[in-house]
Amino acid sequence: MTKTPYAELLAMLSRHRGVVGSFVVSERDGLAVDSNVQIGVHAEAVAALAASLHRKARLACGAAGCGVVTFLRLDAEKGGILAAGRDDLVLVTISEARANIGLLRVEMMRAAKALT
Amino acid sequence: MPDEIRRLSDDLARDPSSLVFMPLADALRRAGQLDVALRVALRGLDRHPYLPDAHDVLARIHADRGDLERASDEWEMALRLDPSHAQANLGLGFVEFRRGDLESAERRLSTVPPAEQTPGVAAALAHVRSALGARPTNGAPVVVPNGSGPTEPTVVPPAAARVPTPPRSTQPVPEFPSPDPSRTKQLFDSVLDGSDQHALLVDGDGLVLAGAYTDGDGKDVAEVVAAELAGVSSEAERAMRHLGLGAWTSLLVEADDAIVAMTPGPNGSLLVVTASRKTPVGLVRLLLDRVLARARDWLVRVS
Repeated sequence: MTKTPYAELLAMLSRHRGVVGSFVVSERDGLAVDSNVQIGVHAEAVAALAASLHRKARLACGAAGCGVVTFLRLDAEKGGILAAGRDDLVLVTISEARANIGLLRVEMMRAAKALT
Repeated sequence: MPDEIRRLSDDLARDPSSLVFMPLADALRRAGQLDVALRVALRGLDRHPYLPDAHDVLARIHADRGDLERASDEWEMALRLDPSHAQANLGLGFVEFRRGDLESAERRLSTVPPAEQTPGVAAALAHVRSALGARPTNGAPVVVPNGSGPTEPTVVPPAAARVPTPPRSTQPVPEFPSPDPSRTKQLFDSVLDGSDQHALLVDGDGLVLAGAYTDGDGKDVAEVVAAELAGVSSEAERAMRHLGLGAWTSLLVEADDAIVAMTPGPNGSLLVVTASRKTPVGLVRLLLDRVLARARDWLVRVS
């Protein structure tokens, strides 16, 4: 299997406490470019959902005059989704409730700037 | 008092979902720490929105802050939840008394059952009746109350010349005032911190229920924003359902020019808060909590 330029970045994010998976996703078509997930996580489905959520948020923020979306955080009872985008590519992590969100946010925003 | 506050704070830290937030908020209020008391009460109400005693505590805090309108809202809420709530009746009587509406105050205070008639209630009632007896013939109130709280109404002694008590109105005091549609846009003004912050309450169809949103040119764009963001919330719900992470609790979007936060509200509604990029992200989440608490109160009253 070919190693993508994102493998190291995704492996680094997946080592964080509470992270069960990380992806680079194409927002346009919802396909995962690369992923690093724990067993049991359906990477393709999650990638498509995260891309769709990011696209909706981007369009809504554009309509509301809020500018370009840089980071998105969806919280739920048992965890959540974090996404940081750049152009068509979106970096996504799925986390449990025990994850350190502040640290993940900083690292993802930094990493998203390097997405090409 | 500091020992009591420390003990109650420890208790709340051990079990954040306990009801100890009520005595803690009240102790903080009595100690004059009104901002902290307000935060404690609002957070507690976020977890326990249907406790009349909690609304009573919050009302007292508002009263001590001099915000009689919001105090009145909270006491009305307490009465809505428990129509026999004596302290709420006393509080509303106090507010009416402060506003110079002596007839309503007298009616309200008279409803407090004898068993709950503390010396404070009896004294307040006596003051109101005395002031009613001293009302001048032009109808203007002679009372200039300046009490600092619902349990401490202060009354200027009645004027020397007594006139007959005016006939009481046969109109009942409305238990709950109807919402004023013209004020729904200002519903969240008192819980937001600046002009660069907006809040909207949106129904399940993406229609604005309350709040306001203006763009940089001052144009009202609330309906457009509500419709667009309602779509995001349905997407969030779908994603969480598929991931098995439980119900979504909040969505926070950071963009170049603003931070947008939203959370599901009662009855399928959606709460949206936006703030400028200068606002710390954590503060936006706190604002969202405050807006949610305000919306819950309002929805209970109008539904």
